Amino acid sequence: MRMSRTVRTGTAAVVRHAFLIVSAALMVTPFLYMISTSFKSQAYVLTVPPQFIPNPATIDNYVQVWNTQNFGRYFANSLLVAVTSTFLSVLLSSMMAYAFARFEFRGRKLLFRIVLLGLMVPTMMLIIPQFILAKGFGLLDSYLGLIVFYVAGNLSLNTYLLRSFFISIPNELDQAMQVDGAGAWTRFTRLILPLSTPALATTTIFTFLATWDEFAWAATIIRDADLRTLPIAIRLFQGANATQWGLVFAASLIAIIPVIAVFLIFQRYFVQGLTAGAVKG
Amino acid sequence: MKHARLLGAAAAVMALALAGCGTGTAASSASTAGSAPAEKVELTFWGTYGNGGNSAQTTALAPLIDSFEKANPGITINYVDMPYDQLKQTLTTAAAGGELPDLLRSDIGWIAQYGKLGAFAALDQAMPDFTTYADAVYPGTLAANAWDGHYYGLPLDTNTRVLVTSPEALKAAGLSKPPATFAEFTAMAGKLKGTKIKAFADGGLGQWNIMPWIWSGGGALTDDAVTKASGYLDSATSVAAVQMLVDLYKDGQIPNLIIGNQGATGTSDGLPGGNYASILDGPWMVDIWKQQYPKFTPNYSPVPAGEGGSVSVIGGESIVMSTSTTHAEAALKFIRFTQTEEFQLAMAATGQMPVVETVGTKAAEQYPYLAAFTEQLKTAKARLNIPEASKVDTILNNHLTEAFKGSVTVQEALTAAAAEIDPLLAK
Amino acid sequence: MTRREAAPAAGGASRQALTPWLFLAPGLVLFLVAIIYPILSAAQMSLYDWNVLSAASSKFIGFDNYVRAFHDPVFWTALANSGAYMVLTVPPQIILGLGIALLLKAKSPAQPVYRVLFYLPVVTSWVVVSLLFKYLFADEGLINWLMDPSMAAPISWLSSRWAAMVAIAALGIWKGIGWSMMIFLAALQGIPAALEEAATMDGANRWQRFRVVSLPAIWPAMAFVLVMLVIGGFNVFISVLLMTGGGPAQSTEVVLTYMYSVAFGDLDFGYGSAIAVLLTLVVFVLAMVQLRVYRTDEEVSE
Repeated sequence: MRMSRTVRTGTAAVVRHAFLIVSAALMVTPFLYMISTSFKSQAYVLTVPPQFIPNPATIDNYVQVWNTQNFGRYFANSLLVAVTSTFLSVLLSSMMAYAFARFEFRGRKLLFRIVLLGLMVPTMMLIIPQFILAKGFGLLDSYLGLIVFYVAGNLSLNTYLLRSFFISIPNELDQAMQVDGAGAWTRFTRLILPLSTPALATTTIFTFLATWDEFAWAATIIRDADLRTLPIAIRLFQGANATQWGLVFAASLIAIIPVIAVFLIFQRYFVQGLTAGAVKG
Repeated sequence: MKHARLLGAAAAVMALALAGCGTGTAASSASTAGSAPAEKVELTFWGTYGNGGNSAQTTALAPLIDSFEKANPGITINYVDMPYDQLKQTLTTAAAGGELPDLLRSDIGWIAQYGKLGAFAALDQAMPDFTTYADAVYPGTLAANAWDGHYYGLPLDTNTRVLVTSPEALKAAGLSKPPATFAEFTAMAGKLKGTKIKAFADGGLGQWNIMPWIWSGGGALTDDAVTKASGYLDSATSVAAVQMLVDLYKDGQIPNLIIGNQGATGTSDGLPGGNYASILDGPWMVDIWKQQYPKFTPNYSPVPAGEGGSVSVIGGESIVMSTSTTHAEAALKFIRFTQTEEFQLAMAATGQMPVVETVGTKAAEQYPYLAAFTEQLKTAKARLNIPEASKVDTILNNHLTEAFKGSVTVQEALTAAAAEIDPLLAK
Repeated sequence: MTRREAAPAAGGASRQALTPWLFLAPGLVLFLVAIIYPILSAAQMSLYDWNVLSAASSKFIGFDNYVRAFHDPVFWTALANSGAYMVLTVPPQIILGLGIALLLKAKSPAQPVYRVLFYLPVVTSWVVVSLLFKYLFADEGLINWLMDPSMAAPISWLSSRWAAMVAIAALGIWKGIGWSMMIFLAALQGIPAALEEAATMDGANRWQRFRVVSLPAIWPAMAFVLVMLVIGGFNVFISVLLMTGGGPAQSTEVVLTYMYSVAFGDLDFGYGSAIAVLLTLVVFVLAMVQLRVYRTDEEVSE
């Protein structure tokens, strides 16, 4: 019995790893191709058939990306805007999600649907009214103009996602705390949030990525070259008649590093999950 | 506990970022505050001279702006390089919010659209000496700025498409020089039949692509007064010119890139790569190929001539003033400056062809590669300048694609296209 | 399992009623001002022959823009293409995303590496990957080369409507798997370990454990992923814009590329807004139907 079970587990593990390795390879190949391209000079970019190992290889693209524009500055701008927006958006949406998940109140269903509406409208059509709004509030050409609309733009997704997770936390835990005299805010911060670290980590990762990558709104309200974010800087490498793809790829790869870092930092909270003790309260 | 750590980490990163950026912001706001005494005027000028990270044009522009500022104390030009991608979206949104820059380098294809909207100022009204400048530029480039009886910009730089041929392909076809007429063009295609080289390639079927052939064949898009396409776009001469291309397409001599197969090898790679014998393209390719295919030395020659001669299409940019500027006087000074020999000749060095005739001749002497384009410009024609120009291109593309695929005849396609274009002209 | 809202304990009923609103207020105010008000403005535009520059002089034309969409064959092609993209991309993303999440759930030294690898496409910018896939699916590209190294009769993937939709969908699936994987992973991590252990001790096999323990626990997340992917599918934009540009002859146009060219190309914001409103309605109805099926929109206890 024991023997056959081990063999079966062993086979399963091999199949599992084989599947993971093959699919991971499939997922990564285009990405490796992008890395390889960033080390090619323009003449060798996107040749047909594709050339995987850059020959000749060059780091000129990276040097040029870092030197032609104020790239370090744009990097810092993006970091400031993305970190602030992510923090505020996750905070505000987790509060909203808590209200939707744990309270009965008049108009809850309608209000939740209105929040969902924010996910369904093509944001491009909002850009003109939002621009006029931003002008009215004096938010054009400022970090705040980016942050306010990034926070607002991510509320729907985060609220919906977090509410889904809050619902799956057994309500008995709340009740137990309430019996002990804990108020709503205490239950929210001491019980719901700690139990939701995987979900909070997910929303943090998603929101950071979304704000880090956003181009259309930034290009619309930012004029001052000192306030540019990375996506604007990257798009400046795309010209009317010719695009230097080696530069675009190199710049994009530099831009990916923080997103990977955020992913690595926050996905740590996935592994821990819930311990039996936490559930017992 | 875990959550507290998570929040702590986020807060720490945020604090770091804030600290890192705070100094930069303070410095930049201090510098702008210091350089703006009361009587000084700062003009904002949007353009796409950045040209995809190819800094030649912005490098040429900077000393010109310095020179202008020195000659006009009190005026500073704040040039803002815009991403070309979605520029139109940024521009439109800015217009809606009344936040347009004082000056803008606009594609000539946008003039009528924004002129009609009221975003661009009519220069013939705002500029008392407008005719002096208008008379000095190539008539074709000026015409592209007209809409509804007014001129909404002055040409800034121009370009046109000429026939670019690969020497190797010519050799393969047994030719010593590029085809100069429709007959030589189809003869070249006949010689290339059976080889791997396709005779001609283009990336679409809009006005920019198809009009050089129709005009050179003696056809037209509309009547001279631009009131009707029916009877012109579908005339026998227009049909014959398009039919020549459709026949080559059916013969396998033109790749399906022309009907919008984005997966086909592009013209800029296919010509030096030996896939295509000829393409139509503009002066910017000279620099691009110099960088990407240093060994490639193409021939630049006039568009093959048909019954209508050799007639190409005009492209380029104009300098326009927005209606929301509060410094019209200063802005007009800069517009005048862009028409000087100093400005035009300096930009010509970067492939921006001069619009002023006298400078154009000089530039062609100085930069021999521009000669073929300068020559072609003498007869080149402008596309329709109506606010609905982009719709005209869509209509042409859709109907001509059907004709190339063979599901309708060229005559049917052009008649149907003309019928759809007519109401746009009547507006 | 029944779940009731905890009975009011100490404090007046009015204070109790106020509590959810205090939690909602900061986010909701921002949301109403920055998102809902612009949505209403866009909806208003759709009833006008909208003049971008002087809104006041725009002509009210009632539902003319909607009637126009109804008779516009390109709009219908675009809607059908968006729908086709949704149908092609949603099931693979859910099945593969969930499958990979289940495989990556357990602790092991290699797991973080796999997670990063599967997540890489998600963090890469759409512009860059669209260009990459355009070249992979080019006439002389890698896909054709892999299918037939002799390249005797390469397929022009991007030159016909359905072949192009397949290529665009392939990109969508590739880029989206990591996203759904993340959500499912987070949901699976939320399952108390004790529950799994209990089921194992009761002699449940792998499939039974999945069905009885994992599936109910990730049900809300499943609903979330499905709704989001359907919405995302209908909102496909950049990949189409960059891979085919909606061509040849507008045959691969999707709703957003068409809307974009109408609004920012032709500057016809009235019609563009009408298309946006129609798309929103279609997506909203679909989402509500799904939420009803999954019953997460209802009070769970009822």
